[in-house]
Amino acid sequence: MVASTADTQEVLMEIRNVDKAFGGVKAVDDVSMDLRAGIITTLVGPNGAGKTTLFNLITGELSKDSGSIKWLGNPINKIKPYQAARAGILRTFQDLRLFNEMSVEDNILTSIEDNSVPVLLTKSQRTARREKVDYALNRAGLFTKRKIRAKDLAYAERKFLSMARVMATDARLWLLDEPASGLDPNSYEKFLEILREEVKQGVTVCIIEHNLDIVIGISDRIAFLDRGKLLADGEPQSVLNDPELRAIYFGERT
Amino acid sequence: MEAYLLNLVILISIYSILGVTLNFIMGYAGIYSLAHAVFFGVGAYAGTFMAMHVNASIFVTLPVAMAAGAILSLILALPALRVRGEYFVAASLGLQVLAVTIFSEWKSVTGGIGGLIGIPPLDVAGFEVFKPSQFIFVTVGALIIILFIINRLVHSSFGRSLRAIRDSESAAAAFGKNVPLIKTISVVISSALTAVAGVLYASYLSFINVESFKLDTSVLIMAMVIIGGTGTQAGPIVGAALLLLLPSLISYLDFLPQTEIGSIQQIIYGLGMALLMIYRPGGIVGRKKQSETGKE
Repeated sequence: MVASTADTQEVLMEIRNVDKAFGGVKAVDDVSMDLRAGIITTLVGPNGAGKTTLFNLITGELSKDSGSIKWLGNPINKIKPYQAARAGILRTFQDLRLFNEMSVEDNILTSIEDNSVPVLLTKSQRTARREKVDYALNRAGLFTKRKIRAKDLAYAERKFLSMARVMATDARLWLLDEPASGLDPNSYEKFLEILREEVKQGVTVCIIEHNLDIVIGISDRIAFLDRGKLLADGEPQSVLNDPELRAIYFGERT
Repeated sequence: MEAYLLNLVILISIYSILGVTLNFIMGYAGIYSLAHAVFFGVGAYAGTFMAMHVNASIFVTLPVAMAAGAILSLILALPALRVRGEYFVAASLGLQVLAVTIFSEWKSVTGGIGGLIGIPPLDVAGFEVFKPSQFIFVTVGALIIILFIINRLVHSSFGRSLRAIRDSESAAAAFGKNVPLIKTISVVISSALTAVAGVLYASYLSFINVESFKLDTSVLIMAMVIIGGTGTQAGPIVGAALLLLLPSLISYLDFLPQTEIGSIQQIIYGLGMALLMIYRPGGIVGRKKQSETGKE
């Protein structure tokens, strides 16, 4: 991890003064941060800090109360989730939301198909599509399970399928919502390896993660959220060594 | 006896078209419509209107009926598919009720409550088809063509999008699927193909009235799909055949009191459906039980 380069990378996404309240509760409170190309930014913070809400605001699943978000220099304030995906911003869900009745293979295949009307593909288009699916199947270790329905997979396999759906696409930014939670040590080693490999190939990642070992192991940059506010955003060591943030994170707040 | 069987097969194939087209949106897109009989009726009335006043050729009646079904379905789909599933069921029920009123009142087109009589036979490229022994080829042929079209759609990227939307709307959207648009297109395709059944039905009976296109029919079609197996290819056809054969089979049982045959039928229907859903929720053709699947 060469954290010192993190500030010099091109800014892919610019988040400025974003607010979102549910009833009287400010879920996201005046958050401003940049997501930089080719690095892993980790969102940490206690439950209810507003991490998933921030993802929902970026992809347009929820609408902001105020503030602005730019993607590759263009404002995406009114974007809808399907438009965000087509613009190269993809996300995973904490509860996975796999296409349960579909096969593993079809889960991945449909994730790279974003045509709304029925189309006929040429042979070369079909081959290209097939290659992407096979790539993701192999990376996620699901090739032998490709014909099985998603709902019949084991827990760790379901998590890898959730990753494979993203891996097969050409998206530039991945928003991963606790992709490693509940994985056994072997599986999460494999997960980290996949993630590092993909980032090396040019993908930008923003990940929500609770396990500090993983956070330390992968982060180029850490953003610390608590009660909707961004308390810190910087190099991993400086954020994690801040005694005040540690106290909040470990629930020692008074 | 032969005429009786021909008649049954023709009706089964027409209702199979209804089942297959409903199953397309219900089984693959998760859109539950209680207005399927409306599009059946619109096809029947539009086709009949063309046949009686313009031209009886199927190259006129079918396209006009399909277009009428498609346009009407857009009116339902555009507002109703932007909201969640339950609302679509309610909106479709509303359309069904509204449509029955229009079918009964718009006398110049539908003939009002009395309906329309003397509907001309199908004109297939100048050849008039009215004998059941010939008509059976038209209805079975239409069923096969519609099955083929739907089969191709279901196995295309469009079909995968539909199933993805059915399984998780938010995840489908997160992977670039324009959910309202895709749902709308599926409803339009389904309704246009449903209208074909209406045209065939009207010219086969040469008489139609609103009784055939009421909520009962919508519920019957849905029952055919569920009993046969939602989301399966053969399910709707099996369901249509079973539900249309059952009344005849029951009437052959001599020991039943013939005066009560109607209520006995209802009891058998109701009981059968309840038991089937408890012991075989996937329908007759559907998967047996969750625990028995997924093994290789």
